[in-house]
Amino acid sequence: MRGASLPLPGATAQEHGGEFDLGEMLAHHILNSNTYELPLIGAVRLPQWDPVAIAGLQVDLSPTKHVVLLLLAAVITFVTILGASRTVAAQGVDRAPKGLANAIEAIVVFLRDDLCKEYIGHGYQRFVPLILTLFFFILAMNLLGLVPWGGSATGNLAVTAALALVTFVVTEVAGFFKLGPKGYLKTIFFAPPGTEGAVKYLMMALMTPVEILGKIVKPFALAMRLFANMTAGHLLIFSLLGFIFFFGDLALGRWFIAGGSYIFVSAILVLELLIAMIQAYIFALLSAVFIGLMQHEH
Amino acid sequence: MTSAFFETGTRLSAAVAGALPSTAAEEGGWSRLFSVEWGLSVWTLLTFGTLLALLARYAWKPLMAALDARERSIQSDIDEAGRQRDKAEALLAEHREQMAEGRRRAQALIAESREAAEELRRQLEEKAREESRTIIANARREIERERDAAIVQLRREAVEVAMAAASRLLEERIDGERDRRLVMDYIDELSVSGEGGAWQ
Repeated sequence: MRGASLPLPGATAQEHGGEFDLGEMLAHHILNSNTYELPLIGAVRLPQWDPVAIAGLQVDLSPTKHVVLLLLAAVITFVTILGASRTVAAQGVDRAPKGLANAIEAIVVFLRDDLCKEYIGHGYQRFVPLILTLFFFILAMNLLGLVPWGGSATGNLAVTAALALVTFVVTEVAGFFKLGPKGYLKTIFFAPPGTEGAVKYLMMALMTPVEILGKIVKPFALAMRLFANMTAGHLLIFSLLGFIFFFGDLALGRWFIAGGSYIFVSAILVLELLIAMIQAYIFALLSAVFIGLMQHEH
Repeated sequence: MTSAFFETGTRLSAAVAGALPSTAAEEGGWSRLFSVEWGLSVWTLLTFGTLLALLARYAWKPLMAALDARERSIQSDIDEAGRQRDKAEALLAEHREQMAEGRRRAQALIAESREAAEELRRQLEEKAREESRTIIANARREIERERDAAIVQLRREAVEVAMAAASRLLEERIDGERDRRLVMDYIDELSVSGEGGAWQ
């Protein structure tokens, strides 16, 4: 059956009797999966574990495609950054930095000075490792989505939500320690300064939901932005690529479509490369901004 | 060719319309896109936490230390360069000062020596003038003396000549009243001029 039709990606061709299903192809590439496809080897079925109960919730911790990508990104990040760090440290103070280590160093210095120092301000040093790790880890995950047989873990809401949760918790906890219990409570139960008596409590009753909503909206937007950007990019790329197979049985049109798709996908991949960096940067930037806002709340 | 494109159009719209529902029906499909798999979130937190801990310990800390060390090194180099520049400027100013001082001193020395030379010249000139005056005065005195001596000599000679002439005359014609009178007149004449102090 498969031999009769085009060599379609994944198992779609077999499942649908040779007829190409664009939606299925998109889902196959973008959604999480229990199998991981590798070159030559084909689809590898990942182990299935029984769900574990965490805080009363049944959580399925079975490794999936996105877990594999997540770990791969972590390993790549660790190895790259460790190597760069070693190189820079080994260079000493007398020699000018160069190569990949210098590129990473330049980004590190930029993030440290123009993000952390700028937006968090006094005592920013404690947050530098967090912001740097967020940036490089997200960047690695984003870039893995542009590699053949790869995929973006950041195109999964569960991943971006967890990262946003990290920012949220760090923001609130750091804010709590910085502002003290009383100062921190003011960021939740807020009344404009100068209000007295009944007006004060009325304002508090009005403003408190707004304040709480503000706290929740920030990480939510953070998670959604990254997820939506990565997903949209991949949807676009795979839709354009899918057209080639979708119209594969047209006598003449398929050549135009294939050529057009090829050109568009090439251009959009370049754009995606930029977006991968921009989104990682924005996540790191907004994390720094949120932490900084909380640090300077009065 | 037209039919090919027409078919392309219809198929495309069919794909867009059909793609989402067709997969949504099977195995949860696209609804899975917005459902959060908590297991994956747990994986993410664990992975990120581990990565953050490892990087913070083994990468960021030494990297930051190296960057700080380099920053300090560069800063100290800049400071050192600044100090060197200040020092050089101070040195330059000092040299300028010294050169100006030297020039001033040289000029003073030149002026002084010129003055001394002038003084010396004036003194020499004065001395020379004095000497010349002395010489001239001496010469004048000498000349006067010589002249006086010459006059005396001349008078003596004249007397001698007169005496000789007179003796010759006396020998020849010491007769006649006229000769006698002539000699007498001459002697008178001599005695008249002798009253002028010629015989002293």
